[in-house]
Amino acid sequence: MSLILSSAPHIRTAKTTSRLMGNVLIALLPCAAAGIYYFGLRAALVLAVSTVSAVLAEFIWQKLSRKPITISDLSAAVTGLLIGLTVTPTAPWWMVMIGSFFAVIVVKQLFGGIGDNFLNPALAARAVLLASWPARMTSHPAVGFANVDAVTSATPLTTGAGIGDLLLGNVPGAIGETCKIAILLGLVYLLVSGTISWRISVVTIASAFLFNWALSGSLNDSLVAILSGGLLFGAVYMATDYATSPMQAGSQYFYAILIGVLTIIIRKFGVYPEGVTYAILLANITAPLLDRFIPQKVYGIPSIRKEEKKA
Amino acid sequence: MKVTFRGGVHPGHKSKKPTQALAVREYVSDTVKIIMNMNIGAPAVPCVKKGDQVKIGQVIGEAQGFMSVPVHASVSGTVLSVDNIPYLSENPVGCVTIQNDFQDDWVELEPLGDVEHVDPSKIVPAIQKAGICGMGGACFPTHVKLTLKPDQKCDTIIVNGAECETHLTADHRLMLENGKRIVDGLRAVMRALDVKNGVIAIEDNKKDAIQAMKQACFGRQGVRVQPLMTKYPQGGEKQLIQAVTGRQVPSGGLPIQVHVVVLNVGTCAAIADAVIDGKPLVSRITTVTGAVRTPSNLRLRIGTLVEDIIGECGGFSEDPGKVIFGGAMTGLPLPNTDVPIAKSTNGIVVFNKHDAVSVEEGPCIRCGKCVSVCPIGLNPFQIKAATDVDLLDRAKDLHVMDCILCGSCSFVCPSRRWLTASFKNAKQKITLQAKKEAAQRAAANQGGEQK
Amino acid sequence: MSASDDKRNLGQVFMNGILNENPTFRLVLGTCPTLATTTSAMNGFGMGLSVTFVLVCSNIVISLLRKFIPDKVRIPSFIVVIAAFVTILQLLLHAYVPSLYESLGIFLPLIVVNCIILARAEAFASKNPVVSSAVDGFGMGLGFTAALTLIGCVRELLGSGSIFGFQILGDAYEPMLIFVLASGGFLTYGLLLGIINAITNHRKLMKLEKGEN
Repeated sequence: MSLILSSAPHIRTAKTTSRLMGNVLIALLPCAAAGIYYFGLRAALVLAVSTVSAVLAEFIWQKLSRKPITISDLSAAVTGLLIGLTVTPTAPWWMVMIGSFFAVIVVKQLFGGIGDNFLNPALAARAVLLASWPARMTSHPAVGFANVDAVTSATPLTTGAGIGDLLLGNVPGAIGETCKIAILLGLVYLLVSGTISWRISVVTIASAFLFNWALSGSLNDSLVAILSGGLLFGAVYMATDYATSPMQAGSQYFYAILIGVLTIIIRKFGVYPEGVTYAILLANITAPLLDRFIPQKVYGIPSIRKEEKKA
Repeated sequence: MKVTFRGGVHPGHKSKKPTQALAVREYVSDTVKIIMNMNIGAPAVPCVKKGDQVKIGQVIGEAQGFMSVPVHASVSGTVLSVDNIPYLSENPVGCVTIQNDFQDDWVELEPLGDVEHVDPSKIVPAIQKAGICGMGGACFPTHVKLTLKPDQKCDTIIVNGAECETHLTADHRLMLENGKRIVDGLRAVMRALDVKNGVIAIEDNKKDAIQAMKQACFGRQGVRVQPLMTKYPQGGEKQLIQAVTGRQVPSGGLPIQVHVVVLNVGTCAAIADAVIDGKPLVSRITTVTGAVRTPSNLRLRIGTLVEDIIGECGGFSEDPGKVIFGGAMTGLPLPNTDVPIAKSTNGIVVFNKHDAVSVEEGPCIRCGKCVSVCPIGLNPFQIKAATDVDLLDRAKDLHVMDCILCGSCSFVCPSRRWLTASFKNAKQKITLQAKKEAAQRAAANQGGEQK
Repeated sequence: MSASDDKRNLGQVFMNGILNENPTFRLVLGTCPTLATTTSAMNGFGMGLSVTFVLVCSNIVISLLRKFIPDKVRIPSFIVVIAAFVTILQLLLHAYVPSLYESLGIFLPLIVVNCIILARAEAFASKNPVVSSAVDGFGMGLGFTAALTLIGCVRELLGSGSIFGFQILGDAYEPMLIFVLASGGFLTYGLLLGIINAITNHRKLMKLEKGEN
């Protein structure tokens, strides 16, 4: 009889990487469904192209570089779906495809694959698309199933839609970011399934709200600010990306406040109408530094301030 | 009110189910192999020889100095052999094998009587004589813990009935069936150290045990029951102290520095036996569960072989893949079943081939779950990054030495990385290095003096 | 030293600048003009040639003066020499190629502080005879030109669909504007650097394997 000798612990959680990524996919379903409901089959096509090409990109890259194929961990699918949800429904298929390939190959695989990317792949791809084809990325069609003609409307931030419309998603915008109720549903699922902690998403939204309130002095304006554009979507799905957000609680608060405040600053004082993408990408870069330099409270080790007081 | 600590996990919800309602039954085997270094500290030295007749409770291994406890015969009968055997991963250790004659003859005992009236100064020596060491797993000699230096003071004794480990129900059954003994043991220690405050801490998933202990505490002076939130590692000494008293043991320090002594419920019961009846520690309750036909809570003589115990439990129900001493989070794997139980063996868990398969490490996805569950507040991700490239100094700066090896980070890791294992390795290396450096310094100092 | 040895050495010095010690891809020197002026192949090529001109001339002069310049003031002296040639270049370009002069803009006078030129002056010209210094400057300059032209070609092709102003990709191609922006410069430079490293590493590996066999 041969017994296995291995180090403790002898049991492991059932929540593996692919299970967690699957949870994110499930949480994205309401957004995808709302997007398809509002923007029709074009949106469905965009989502399909983005997801499939992201998975394909990972497969091709790993095959070519003779690395183990890891598409079954579903992280590429999550990246792909996120890209699809952050572009407009009228985005051409080739643009979406370039976005997915860029995200998976340049941003993720070139830096070492899952967990080693320093930027959120989906958002970095979105930033590249935004810089490359600004007109296509910002022309949002009016909502409606039959509407196929792209209309370069005013940015979704300045359409002056009511709060009810904003909540339901009855406004122009990217496929996944318009219906706020769907996003909140996804957030609830992510929290209940223990996929993410509440800190980053909730603090991001709250800090953007408070900062906007402090600047404008208007509650209504601040409510519109957090409900319009991609803030909610970014706070729930993008800022909480595992690899590019900090791990320690203290750093997570700092990171989330940074995103909220930067978003409002870019919106109010920058040249871009929407700031969530750049705010999150900037915060991504700070994440490892925050973890390194914001001290954790360790059991049995008094904090520096306390020691100073004693001395 | 329930109390708890920061972090933690909830492993193995149903693992206690098979045994928690089973009453403890006694099992005595034909032969026992009693090893000499069950405790932390110096091993005992055998003082019997082959062919000797021994009685239960007779000293067969003599303690070597203060940081050592004596070993007693756990059955009556004939000494078959006195030799050295390899025990678990350690170097060969002394071992006395006794053939049981089933006469159950005890040596002459020196009972001290009721704990409330015994002379307090006699209590700790009685504990030392009875060979008691921590029965929750660490096996630290109890009399050492209870001998305070002049500058140390103790205001609270905590009895650890958390039993947060998976699979184990031995302490649970002991509290249900023998609560009064635990309270007696606690009172004995309180009187020995002149402490006014005794707390029996129990996780709130053992409602019946909380009830039973409350009843046992009724009318006793200065003792109370404290329910704890059910969370692993609630029974870790540091976590327990924080939950019950709100104090934190300083890094690298001992509980007594925050005026607390923590004792396992099993240890308390053994103390009561030693004081009231004068009986040495010769048996303990062990949970046998997992892939065995009849999972059980057994009262076993120290030195009973795992092979015999599994036979008593109806044998393996499936092809065994792994057998461990203790629960699944911190248990020690056995190389074979020809191993005797020690004073600290609170459980034997058998995993089938499927569950025992060594998991494959995936790439870290930096989800930060290890950080959020660490009960000490460490950053396991950063420590692992340091230990992977052997940066021991960096690992030390990240407080790897404060890691209690509870296994929470490894348990929760979605990529199944061997976090705890590498921290254990790093801690050993750092300790070894420190010892080497100390030895070198000592040698250098000596050289200086000679000049 | 025989004449043939000398020739081989000069050949080595020349090729060194283009391949083994390519200032852009191997030494990663002068990255500021590399990123800023390669929005099109023509700009990259023009910048490269300008640097080559200054590099050859300054190497020759510094090599000639190497025995007269006191060690303590050598850096300021080098800079004065380099600045003189950059001024000459600036006037020449302004007179004869005004369009290139316009598009290179501030990066033309900034050649003075281009670290390739100072590095070659310090590391080579101040220690070697005139002929090999001139050859070194020429090789380094051509290596720089080749690298900048390559980056410029890639960025122009993707960013505007053309190379040297000739439309290559059809009208259906919608240019990826990011490649003519600064971020596209970083992307292209980084990716090309990576590819070249991958190729050289692969070659080294093959050589090692061959050697072992």
